[in-house]
Amino acid sequence: MTVSERSIMHIDMNAFFASVEQQANPDLRGKPIAVIGRGRTVVTTSSYEARAFGVKTGMNTWQAKQVCPQIIFVVGDNRKYTHTSAEIMKILQEYTPLVEVFSIDEAWLDITHSLALFGSAETIACQLKARIRHRFGITCSVGIAPNKLLAKLASDQQKPDGLTVFKPADVSRILERMPISELCGIGKKLQRQLNLLSIYTCGDLGRHDEPRLTKKFGVIGKRLKEMGQGIDHAPVVPFGEEEEIKSVGHSCTLARDISDPDEIRRVLLQLSEMVGSRARRYGVSGKTVHLYIRYADFFSSWGKQTTLASYATRTDEIYQAVVAILATVELEQPVRLMGVRLTNLQHHNQQLPLFPEEQKKARMIQAMDAVNNKLGDFCVTYASLLQSKEKGSHVISPAWRPEGIRSVQVQ
Amino acid sequence: MRINEPIRVAVVFGPGSSIKPVWFDWKNRKHAVLETTYTWSDLKGSSKRLHFAVRDDGGLYQLTYDTVEQTWELSGLEGQ
Repeated sequence: MTVSERSIMHIDMNAFFASVEQQANPDLRGKPIAVIGRGRTVVTTSSYEARAFGVKTGMNTWQAKQVCPQIIFVVGDNRKYTHTSAEIMKILQEYTPLVEVFSIDEAWLDITHSLALFGSAETIACQLKARIRHRFGITCSVGIAPNKLLAKLASDQQKPDGLTVFKPADVSRILERMPISELCGIGKKLQRQLNLLSIYTCGDLGRHDEPRLTKKFGVIGKRLKEMGQGIDHAPVVPFGEEEEIKSVGHSCTLARDISDPDEIRRVLLQLSEMVGSRARRYGVSGKTVHLYIRYADFFSSWGKQTTLASYATRTDEIYQAVVAILATVELEQPVRLMGVRLTNLQHHNQQLPLFPEEQKKARMIQAMDAVNNKLGDFCVTYASLLQSKEKGSHVISPAWRPEGIRSVQVQ
Repeated sequence: MRINEPIRVAVVFGPGSSIKPVWFDWKNRKHAVLETTYTWSDLKGSSKRLHFAVRDDGGLYQLTYDTVEQTWELSGLEGQ
């Protein structure tokens, strides 16, 4: 079977977090609601009823209230969403083992070889939509097309509760007048650059001179032209067959701006412990430590990295590295967001410490991990973290996956 | 609103792996569960916890069952 004969499905859960909350609380059904984080004022997502009033993701609660005075704010429960997502992914896997989780509420399925078992792609889509609706009470939009790029574009065409099929013969006609901003991978910045070349639609992009695109955008020039033509050879990469992860990181948006050095170091220690414990749990160690800081104005930020003499997984090693980076910078403003990341990874490495002091530290970390793995993260932790109210991860990262090292237990 | 209070719950286990809270005691009152509106699970360390959003005649409650400790708690209240 050739690549052009593939049948790819993209599933996008509609207003996922808000829909789950409306199912969990029947009083919220049919009402404009917005999901926010605990102690936060930014809208994470909103129901379609709220969107009809103009409520958008990223708005402040007062802005949302301004456009929709009757809006109900609901503090999100990330565990509900990760559980529901993982269960939905299990349902998808009943139709094909080729399921690629794109984010907590989106996935691609390669159903090319499932058609003989289940009938048409539309039949599979209708079954999936019905099962998800029956089990969780939530709707999804489905796109079916010959590749991932077009399947995602198709699922975006009808929301909520849509089913859109792009047949190979119709692709050129559909793309001719489709704005380039609709394509997955073309953000606002790239769109502006393409507009400067008088490229506004996928048709324009597909017809554009490839050497000119390559001259302007480098290696992605060819890829951009193909995207305009609706060509995408990327396979659906199922769980467990992705490339090995290249980094382990955590970041934390603070409930308020902080400038007290002790407080900043406390957050860094917590982030170092989250990175270190996840790396140790999955047998990964890293040689390069990154620190990222975003200031109170939310626009200015910086990131720096340092490479260690040897591979590290211990929290104190990561923490000392980020504190050393921090010492090289004079903070211009109070801090709003901090991130710690470990890269340059080595997988499945267990180097035994040579010196007694190091052996002692390793044994202590092992004991702490054993308790925390049994009773929950931060049950045993550093004394300086006891004052911290919010421990652990409170945000579902775009890289979250239902299993493995990317399956972060969120609060 | 978070509560996190150990409570007494009457439950029907089965058929199969289904778990259905029927009533629970809280603040010297017996609350009859009219509907389980949502269920989900998570891990606390190695303990799997099952969460149930349940409705009685006056409100919505979150009950949590720790499958290792075999204990129930009232984790929270919605909209009260």
